[in-house]
Amino acid sequence: MKTLKFAMAVAFVAGAAVAAVAADKTINQKGKVFSQTEITVKKGEPVNFLNDDNIVHNVMSTTTGNEFNVGAAKPGTVTPVTFKAAGDVRVICAIHPSMKMVVKVTD
Amino acid sequence: MRMFMSVPAQAVAVIVLVVAATGHSSSMALAQAVVGQATVVNVVQAPTASLEKMRDEYRRPKTITFPKDNPYTAAKASLGKKLYFDTRLSAANVQSCASCHSPGFGFGDGLPKGVGNEMKALGRRSPTIINAAYGQIFMWDGRAETLEEQALGPIQADVEMNMPLDKLLKRLNGIPEYKPLFEAAFPGKAIAADSIAKAIATYERTIVSGIAPFDAWIEGNEKAISEDAKRGFTVFNTKAQCSACHSGWNFTDDSFHDIGLPSDDIGRGKFLKGVIKAQHAFKTPGLREISARGPYMHDGSVATIEDVIEHYDHGGISRESRSDAIVPLKLTKQEKADLVAFLKTLDSDVDPTVVPNLPR
Repeated sequence: MKTLKFAMAVAFVAGAAVAAVAADKTINQKGKVFSQTEITVKKGEPVNFLNDDNIVHNVMSTTTGNEFNVGAAKPGTVTPVTFKAAGDVRVICAIHPSMKMVVKVTD
Repeated sequence: MRMFMSVPAQAVAVIVLVVAATGHSSSMALAQAVVGQATVVNVVQAPTASLEKMRDEYRRPKTITFPKDNPYTAAKASLGKKLYFDTRLSAANVQSCASCHSPGFGFGDGLPKGVGNEMKALGRRSPTIINAAYGQIFMWDGRAETLEEQALGPIQADVEMNMPLDKLLKRLNGIPEYKPLFEAAFPGKAIAADSIAKAIATYERTIVSGIAPFDAWIEGNEKAISEDAKRGFTVFNTKAQCSACHSGWNFTDDSFHDIGLPSDDIGRGKFLKGVIKAQHAFKTPGLREISARGPYMHDGSVATIEDVIEHYDHGGISRESRSDAIVPLKLTKQEKADLVAFLKTLDSDVDPTVVPNLPR
């Protein structure tokens, strides 16, 4: 239900391009944890990282082939990340070590 | 049971081409994954919790956490304690783990900055190891993923104990009374570096802050702390926003922040070079046994708890890397005094630590 509400909010604020992303490809960050420890996506399919917490978060990876860094994401920020290489991507918040997950990218 | 983070904190040969300084990043194509246009949505936040709910967040655990790959045994903890206090773990035979993490100083050293090999000053204050069992990541800059990894770091560092592991193994093998202790802790295994690490880490995990007046109050004894301290607890959790990072029973979430101290040390930024918020960022320390642990901050630059509160009230140096949580607080004189009263309720009457007789 939470993800459905989020998808609707995105549709309202950001338009159809983001809203077209499947709601189950959204990772929430409330309470200094990622809402899933693991998610599987196809190469080229974005994962939305939504900071629905009340503090600033970061999302990044140093996994070779899929490095990224969204910088400092304020509460309410949703950032899509599209992975280009198949494999397991270890994702962390550089600020909060309690936030860690794996994005499994498939061909 | 705690599971350790699977991403090595040091594995940071990151080539980040663009880093957003704010949440409103523009589309950016990195070498690999692509970070798209960030947008802002309305997120409904839960209302501020009641005082009773806040108190529940600080209830101390009933058990000590040990990792699956290094479970507690009495033999291991006993061996670890001897190693922890043994100066022969340093090349010069003069420093032990306890030199910088002494029970007499809240398992720190009471100095602004640590003292290393040949009495040279180190760059940062010696952090306490109290409640290390509950840590998620170690060292001020988070470069050690586990307590086991942390334990071997200062032993080998040339500026600290300056003891290469091969020489350490040779030295310990030359001390006959260590052999049966290692055999009891690690049956059938020759003395090895990972055994040393596991034994020291096991001992360190047994060092847990004692039951403090605050804990008695959390459990319902309204007379356990003063009215000043109760008001301070509320300020801590509301206006001062200390609990944004100093959360939970050990008063830390182990998060990394630049709190605006005037230091050239970039802390975690050394390992996360492209991450602006990691520059000048250091791990949030717990607050248990705080009175015994001054001076404060990663660089020991603040002498008293009162001065710590003054720093946060002011907000320190404003720079891009400074945490968004650090803003001028405009605390009143009474609120500051109440915060100090509250923080002192985190001190406990711990039993003196018995220094062990060492193997010969």
